[in-house]
Amino acid sequence: MKNFCSRRQFLKISGATAAGWAMASALPPWQMLSAAEIAAAEGRYVATYCEMCFWKCGAFAKVVADKVVKLEGNFLHPHSRGVLCGRGNGGLGLLYDPDRLKAPLIRTGERGDGKYREASWDEALSLVAEKMGKLATDYGPESLALFTHGSATSHFFPLVKAYGSPNVAMPSFAQCRGPRVAAYDITTGSDIGSPERLDMANSKMVVLLGSHLGENMHSSQVQDFTQAIGNRAKIVVVDPRFSTAAGKADYWLPIRPGTDMALLLAWTHLILKNHWYDAAYLEAYANGLEEMIGQYDEYTPEWAAKETDLSPAVIIETAQLMAKNAPAVALHPGRHVTWDGQDVQRSRAIIILQALLGTWGRKGGIYLASKAKLPPLPAGKAYPKPGRPALNRGGYPFAGGEGVTNVVRASTLSGQPYPIKGWFVSGTNLLAALPNPDETRAAIKQLDFLVAVDMMPTDTVVHADVILPECSYLERHDSIAQLRGRDLRLSIRQPAIEPLYNSKPGWWIAKELSRKLGLEAYFPWQTYAEKLEEDCLAWDIDFDELKEKGVVLIPNSENAYIAPGNPPVFKTASKKIELYSEELELLDFDPLPRYVRNEQPQADEFRLLYGRSPVHTFSRTVNNPVLNELFSENELWLNPRPAAKLGLKNGDYVALVNQDHIKKGHIRLKVTERIREDCVYMVHGFGLQSERLSKAFNRGVSDQELISKYVVDPIAGTTGMRVNFVRLQKEA
Amino acid sequence: MPRYAMVIDTRRCISCMACVVACKAENDVAPAHFRTRIREEISGTFPDLRAETRSELCNHCDNPPCVYNCPTRASYKNEETGMVLLHKNKCIGCKACIAACPYDARYVDPVKGVVDKCTFCDHRIAAGKQPACVATCVGGSRVFGDLDNPNSSVSILLRQHPSEVLLAGAGTEPRVFYIKHYRTPR
Amino acid sequence: MEVTVTGLNALAFPHMHIWDWRVALYLFLGGLSAGLAVMAAVLHLRKNGELVEGEAASWIAPLCVPVVLGLGMLFIFLDLEHKLNVYRLYLTVQPLSPMSWGSWGLLAFFPLSALFVLATLPERLYGWLMLDSLRNLARRLTESVRIIAFINLLMGIFIGIYTGVLLSSFVARPLWNSSILPVLFLLSALSAGAALMIIVSRSLAAKLFFTKLDIFLIAAEMTVLPLFFYGQYTSSSAHRASILPFFAFTHEYLWFGSAIILLGVIFPFALVLKLLEIREGHVTALTPAVLFRMNLSAALVLLGSAIVRFAFVYAGQLSHYL
Ligand SMILES: Nc1nc2c(c(=O)[nH]1)N[C@H]1C(S)=C(S)[C@@H](COP(=O)(O)OP(=O)(O)OC[C@H]3O[C@@H](n4cnc5c(=O)[nH]c(N)nc54)[C@H](O)[C@@H]3O)O[C@H]1N2
Ligand SMILES: Nc1nc2c(c(=O)[nH]1)N[C@H]1C(S)=C(S)[C@@H](COP(=O)(O)OP(=O)(O)OC[C@H]3O[C@@H](n4cnc5c(=O)[nH]c(N)nc54)[C@H](O)[C@@H]3O)O[C@H]1N2
Ligand code: SF4
Ligand code: SF4
Ligand code: SF4
Ligand code: SF4
Ligand code: SF4
Ligand SMILES: [Mo]
Repeated sequence: MKNFCSRRQFLKISGATAAGWAMASALPPWQMLSAAEIAAAEGRYVATYCEMCFWKCGAFAKVVADKVVKLEGNFLHPHSRGVLCGRGNGGLGLLYDPDRLKAPLIRTGERGDGKYREASWDEALSLVAEKMGKLATDYGPESLALFTHGSATSHFFPLVKAYGSPNVAMPSFAQCRGPRVAAYDITTGSDIGSPERLDMANSKMVVLLGSHLGENMHSSQVQDFTQAIGNRAKIVVVDPRFSTAAGKADYWLPIRPGTDMALLLAWTHLILKNHWYDAAYLEAYANGLEEMIGQYDEYTPEWAAKETDLSPAVIIETAQLMAKNAPAVALHPGRHVTWDGQDVQRSRAIIILQALLGTWGRKGGIYLASKAKLPPLPAGKAYPKPGRPALNRGGYPFAGGEGVTNVVRASTLSGQPYPIKGWFVSGTNLLAALPNPDETRAAIKQLDFLVAVDMMPTDTVVHADVILPECSYLERHDSIAQLRGRDLRLSIRQPAIEPLYNSKPGWWIAKELSRKLGLEAYFPWQTYAEKLEEDCLAWDIDFDELKEKGVVLIPNSENAYIAPGNPPVFKTASKKIELYSEELELLDFDPLPRYVRNEQPQADEFRLLYGRSPVHTFSRTVNNPVLNELFSENELWLNPRPAAKLGLKNGDYVALVNQDHIKKGHIRLKVTERIREDCVYMVHGFGLQSERLSKAFNRGVSDQELISKYVVDPIAGTTGMRVNFVRLQKEA
Repeated sequence: MPRYAMVIDTRRCISCMACVVACKAENDVAPAHFRTRIREEISGTFPDLRAETRSELCNHCDNPPCVYNCPTRASYKNEETGMVLLHKNKCIGCKACIAACPYDARYVDPVKGVVDKCTFCDHRIAAGKQPACVATCVGGSRVFGDLDNPNSSVSILLRQHPSEVLLAGAGTEPRVFYIKHYRTPR
Repeated sequence: MEVTVTGLNALAFPHMHIWDWRVALYLFLGGLSAGLAVMAAVLHLRKNGELVEGEAASWIAPLCVPVVLGLGMLFIFLDLEHKLNVYRLYLTVQPLSPMSWGSWGLLAFFPLSALFVLATLPERLYGWLMLDSLRNLARRLTESVRIIAFINLLMGIFIGIYTGVLLSSFVARPLWNSSILPVLFLLSALSAGAALMIIVSRSLAAKLFFTKLDIFLIAAEMTVLPLFFYGQYTSSSAHRASILPFFAFTHEYLWFGSAIILLGVIFPFALVLKLLEIREGHVTALTPAVLFRMNLSAALVLLGSAIVRFAFVYAGQLSHYL
């Protein structure tokens, strides 16, 4: 990509990236170092795990003269297997981003105008404690909501619970995996997990519905996917866009957006009609096959072809292939599955197919989770029982423990069932993560108090009354990650260097706040290292080994596949896979997935689609100098035919106007055959409006600002977001 | 003596850029400069599209025009390992090597004022490690090893699959080989 | 085909930009000094030195050679990214690198052209030479001026060719990678040298002589240039694509299209002017009008020669294989 930068710009960050600078500076400047000499500057390696996304890959930080100069993958770690992705490698850019939050800030101007003054930690934390105290007296502690995501959760969730509020919410449910979690819960009794336990490395066939693996970069999962390619597994990719994964596929099904359910039902129809299902498997492990018979007759390939804009032949061919390769078929359930508000049912349709093909617990399908156990940790002080019931699930029957962000936001706006007057935000950029940011901004206006713990002055952060600068994951301890996959491993995060500037680890912030709130009994340790050591003691783990190797294995003898003596466990009422869900039926939902047509765009409209760039994680990395260099602004993908009709060419800048007349400007067009004519696509996370982000400010357009409409899934409360339509306007 | 080479399996490259970022950190590559890059080619019209994705870097050519054109012998071919490397202290920055390289593999380091390029991470090889880009290749697309060792992964891959080099016609005899399809019918 | 490349060096993107005006200027000045050395030598060698009689160009031209050369070398030096290491050029000989033999060649050319200066300097100007030993040397050299002239002639041809070979040796750059290029550059250097001779010489005889010479050189250049493009056009697709900038006449390639048009005007125009001059069956004295015409046509040739270098240096860097 085009990126030129001045020498001064370079000098600013060079100190950060330079492998050999420590050495180099000791030598006369004209004496060039050879790479070998640089290597001689052997540093120390500190084991940790990555927080550039939520996959938690094991990493080693190479430290030379108190500078982290390189990050490498940890071979023992099942999520990285020695490999870090681009963002993982780019962690240095976060650590040394000159725009980082450097000291506690207290708002001096109006909320949202970005005016702050620096404060000492003592002053800032006292202010937060004072506000929290006042909130508890004025409205009760339940009126404080915690929005959180990532490692910060393990520090602030206990703090907020100790304070007395049950109202926590993470975008990882209602804007992400929620529908899938609910669907597995309903159908198999337990989630497919994160990492998804797909046995792609052994699959004969991989089917992806919108999962754009490769762009969706979760290291070990993508490694498995490319292993499948290397093994010459059949790859089927269903995506309106010719994604990277589609580029590797044997079958690319450029489906009409929002019609995946029709395809899934047609596949189901074919498998049922032709008896391509695994009868013995279903007999043993599933309930409801009889109820399904006859329910799918109308969903013929010809019918689905009309809905999906695919050919009946390709629908039949791919179904046949699945049947032929079953059970070694990895039918990916998707991860960000909040598309159109019918998401739990669509996820269920996928799970039902997985079951019909007999893939759960079978080689090449879905492997079984290790059952290894750790001894329980000694119970800490019990949290107080909240005075009022949690409102964070909004009465949705299958809303998960991670809470429903949009429900908390709605309660903040409406004051119902009781007022939410304070937000504690850590590790999430709500304005980028939740649909309809106008609603978020309106809710923020209702607040008495907003505190943010973050590393970067992102859009939500600069609305806070108090900003608490957390140090990056490379400068702190966090909780030990428990990685349950084929086996159970533990992984440690420990500081590679001391916190830069006046930033502090999350645990320290939580503990200091607890002291000021009189809740220190919930944090009964001096340092987090001490706590981790105690945890290890309780688990009978060698702490020193963990510190050194970064990962320890909890031995177990489980088999990853169904075998005599190793049956799958389904935690449903019937202890079987529930193809037909009586649970849903009781709640007046369809017990079997059915087709309900989604609204389609007008002739001059495009459905707004979005996804990932492999070098960015949502909004959090856009300002990262190392990653920004590779992808500094998002582009709008548009098919050449509508482009020609609109008189637009590649590289033109356009503004987008959505169905609610919201106009967002200035995004560069990528005119490409790689997308259908009825939709446009952009990478999520751009168009940030915080002026303190020198590289990210106003670069590209935020998909979220155009997602003013969302459809809530009645089963899980999750927000379907691909229901917005845009028109294009050429810009000068 | 090892004859080092890289084999790049384009089918497995998912253009994730991990290699690009890792290379820059490992080798202190200046902003806006790169020793390796990712090229994505899409041909055809909707919906009949084909994609090829590959990483590119210095080919460590056996017949290296960059070396021949270097007036100071700053650019040289290490006869033992076959790596095309640089004595940076001999480089005057005349850029003849840049002009001579058909692969645009070289650049002027704006800070040090000398030319630089991929070194096959010789310092890591010396320490018994894989090149940084190979070690972090998420797709398992980049494979590094010794052509003289019949059991090295590069030798095995080259035996198993048809391979090609970039711009074979330029006569540079690259040591970076590309596998674009697999031998046995799919 | 849609091609996206992530991780291109600023140098290579959007177009490769290794060498800029400094190198173009160096190639022009280097070529000019080479051509001038040849022409100055010819002046001395022609008709047993008859033309030298009372001709100021006989010493001014040789004097211009090291000056122009030095200026040219200054610009190539300015282009070096690591000037402190420049001595490295002279710690090695790299027979395969034109840059190497060019730098050695320049190293030899410079003193040789200085000897030429000494050998041709009129005695009345010996005051310029600070040292007695220099004066003695000059006096002695004067005796072998024709040998020195001959050596300078050979050296000039060598340098003239070298400036073209420097570019043509790059297989990687299809526009440059043609064996016609050194010929073109040599012709262009010689014609520029002849043009400069026309300007610096005083006598009608000398002026006319170099005008005639220049006519042949320009004619040759005008033959070789289309031949070059023809050769590129009929070669590989990369070679064919490499001349596109000259003939696309689009906004993007404005400068290259203009260069071609300019050359298409300048050379014929200069040629016609020159033909007119020799046709005129010359009067004894040079009227200001004739002088102006002569100088104008010479200046045009110099301009044309500069345009050739600039156009080729820049356009060559747009051409590549990948
Ligand atoms: N329109 C649209 N909306 C979406 C999505 C989409 O694709 N399109 N994706 C959805 C999905 S799948 C998800 S999971 C969510 C993700 O939503 P978020 O998790 O909110 O995503 P980010 O935008 O990355 O915001 C992360 C915030 O955490 C901060 N942060 C990063 N690391 C740390 C740390 O170590 N400590 C602290 N204290 N803060 C840190 C960052 O600076 C940033 O402010 O978004 C959802 N929303
Ligand atoms: N690099 C990177 N990787 C990430 C993340 C990141 O931020 N950056 N985030 C991680 C997280 S938290 C999550 S949840 C996952 C999300 O990763 P996925 O679940 O793969 O992401 P989605 O956003 O659902 O999918 C985007 C793709 O869906 C396609 N699509 C759009 N509409 C439709 C449709 O109607 N039907 C079909 N079949 N396809 C459609 C788009 O064209 C695009 O290719 O990614 C994870 N991986
Ligand atoms: S997938 Fe990449 S960003 Fe995510 S944890 Fe692993 S290395 Fe870090
Ligand atoms: S790729 Fe270029 S720089 Fe590398 S050896 Fe070949 S010619 Fe030289
Ligand atoms: S720039 Fe340096 S390495 Fe390249 S040819 Fe000139 S001296 Fe040799
Ligand atoms: S081998 Fe080393 S220097 Fe070369 S591209 Fe890979 S990481 Fe960069
Ligand atoms: S790391 Fe590997 S898979 Fe990723 S872009 Fe580089 S070569 Fe391709
Ligand atoms: Mo997510």
